Amino acid sequence: MSLALGMNPTRLMGLVVAALTVPALAQDADALLRDADRYRTGADNLQVDTLVQALASDGTLDKERRYTVFAQADRRTLVLMQSAAEKGQKVLMLGDDFWLLMPSSQRPMRITPMQKLLGDASTGDIATMRWSGDYSATLVGVEPCVDASVPTGTAASTQASSPASCYHLQLQATRKGVTYQRIELWLGQQRHEPVRAQLYVQSDKLAKQALFEVDKALSSVSAMVLIDQLGKQKQTRIRYLARKERTVPVEWLNPMFLARSPVLE
Amino acid sequence: MARMLCIPALALAAVLEAATLRPAMAGEFSASLRSHGLVRQTASAGPLAQAHARYDGIAADQPSEGAAQLQLQGRMQWAGLQWHADVLAQAQRPEGGPRHTQAAVLEAYAAGQAGAWQWTAGRKVVGWDVGYGFRPNDLVQQEQRRALVSQPLQGRPVLMAEEFGAETAWSLVAVNPTTGRDATGAGEGALAARWYQRLGSADAYAFARWGRRTQGSVGAAGSWVASDALELHVSLRHLARFDAWEDSSAQPAALALASPWRPVLRQGAQQALVGGTWTNADQVSVLLEAWWDGTAPSRTHWRQWAERNAALQRLGVAGAPPIAVAANLAWQTQAFSASPSLHRQNLFARLAWTTGPWESALDMLYHPADGGRLYTASLAWKGDRLRLEGGLRASAGPGTAVVRQLPVQRQAYVQAVWVLD
Repeated sequence: MSLALGMNPTRLMGLVVAALTVPALAQDADALLRDADRYRTGADNLQVDTLVQALASDGTLDKERRYTVFAQADRRTLVLMQSAAEKGQKVLMLGDDFWLLMPSSQRPMRITPMQKLLGDASTGDIATMRWSGDYSATLVGVEPCVDASVPTGTAASTQASSPASCYHLQLQATRKGVTYQRIELWLGQQRHEPVRAQLYVQSDKLAKQALFEVDKALSSVSAMVLIDQLGKQKQTRIRYLARKERTVPVEWLNPMFLARSPVLE
Repeated sequence: MARMLCIPALALAAVLEAATLRPAMAGEFSASLRSHGLVRQTASAGPLAQAHARYDGIAADQPSEGAAQLQLQGRMQWAGLQWHADVLAQAQRPEGGPRHTQAAVLEAYAAGQAGAWQWTAGRKVVGWDVGYGFRPNDLVQQEQRRALVSQPLQGRPVLMAEEFGAETAWSLVAVNPTTGRDATGAGEGALAARWYQRLGSADAYAFARWGRRTQGSVGAAGSWVASDALELHVSLRHLARFDAWEDSSAQPAALALASPWRPVLRQGAQQALVGGTWTNADQVSVLLEAWWDGTAPSRTHWRQWAERNAALQRLGVAGAPPIAVAANLAWQTQAFSASPSLHRQNLFARLAWTTGPWESALDMLYHPADGGRLYTASLAWKGDRLRLEGGLRASAGPGTAVVRQLPVQRQAYVQAVWVLD
């Protein structure tokens, strides 16, 4: 008490307001996360056509890959590699279990969560369409949306169109198979759309920064820009070209069926 | 090497033109062009080197070679069925020999559904089992493992029926259904079955096979993701009979008039593999495997083989006809292809690292029975459509080790793979 009495009145008032408002906001953290997920999915069972562009450090296009992602309920996802260089490769994710299928081997291979993480845009980045259910959310507070640590010129369109103030959520993984152990997520204060995120791996190292672009109708995330924080700040842009509701047959989510090289379109 | 890799410009132009032309039919097509050069350094020790020393040119060496391959793949849906085709055209030039070309159908099959079962008929690659260096339960394809230069696989003729649940699968296969009773190895006519069950973070498999000559075998395998970074796998198989090669020489010091090596059918053997892969966030991965191959020659076999080599050498010194001694020594090399494994006990370690477009790997196959080692190092660069790769393989260990007797002791290769569409 003597410590509180020693504070200036303005700061004391701020603490009182924070003490009163944060518990109320905390109850809404999970609802905020579900709102944010709606910008990324829109349905329980989805087909998403994705374009991944890896940019060199000077901003020029290094390589481009296309993927079809079947994101199904109960954390079941099938990723089909569509680019010529990777044609026929598939990654199946059933909860915390992952398989890689290479067209040359005809055998499904169990892969670890660490192997799923590899690459500029890991399979986890491409396939993860929801945070709810995988993370518990805590509301940290309201903060400016623009990240001062992101270098000028990085994903300029994303930064320029960001709302002024954001809810800052801290997401902690609730299961072991997720790509990132912790996520610091900023959502637009008015519409709760994802604006940016910091993605931390198991060792609590900051692996990537993510910036989200929302379409003109302000209804869904149209792209996500990932900035590598472990290497040379390389950028990867994941564009969601098309989304449609689609429930795939149950055998498509069986690794032995996928090893048959079936036509899945 | 440059001369070996050289392909006449007209032929290359024709290949490129064929690869970039889209067939005038609906479906999905892809093409890739690959070329490799492989330099082999023949051994200065071992039975083949000794044979050449006695009588030069008594047997063909494995020559260095250059090759170019065009692979075309297509698949389409027609008449309610899925149709797949995969063909390979190859031009190959062994060092000092004429260039030869050939085309092969790698896969050609139709697939459809009948009730709950999916069926496949035609030539198809059907790969089973969980290991890297050795796959005892690869009952259908029986792929040769640890090849230095990766090559596309040619499928086996199969009639296959499969049933899939959410977490289970059954596969029933008739492989090589039209071959005769004398066919051996992967060419043998057989019925094979696989059962699969997902058990959370583990996959469990059971296998059975009935070969026309080798009769029954049963097996089991599993793969388990033990942690975020560690995968463990195991595979076991019991065989009632297996094909092998036997030296039918009357005694070690007897000169034979024809190769004394005869195919035989042996009774009862076990194969087992245990291994694991650890991968970290820096894209470093370590694979360790140990396997027992009961179909491989035993220590006693190799000791008798070495005794015959020595006996043949002594015959040469004693004045036996050089051509007869040389031929008998050259026939001794048939022991190297008697089994997929040279020894029954095998240890394998592989360290791989990926950084950006670069992939490097170093592996070692170790034979505890005689201390022999096979080292392989490779470096690959992977671009958008182009993959360039090079590597080395060398034998090491005591001079008496079996791998030190192999006709080729060192190999180097470069390979380029270009995905056209």
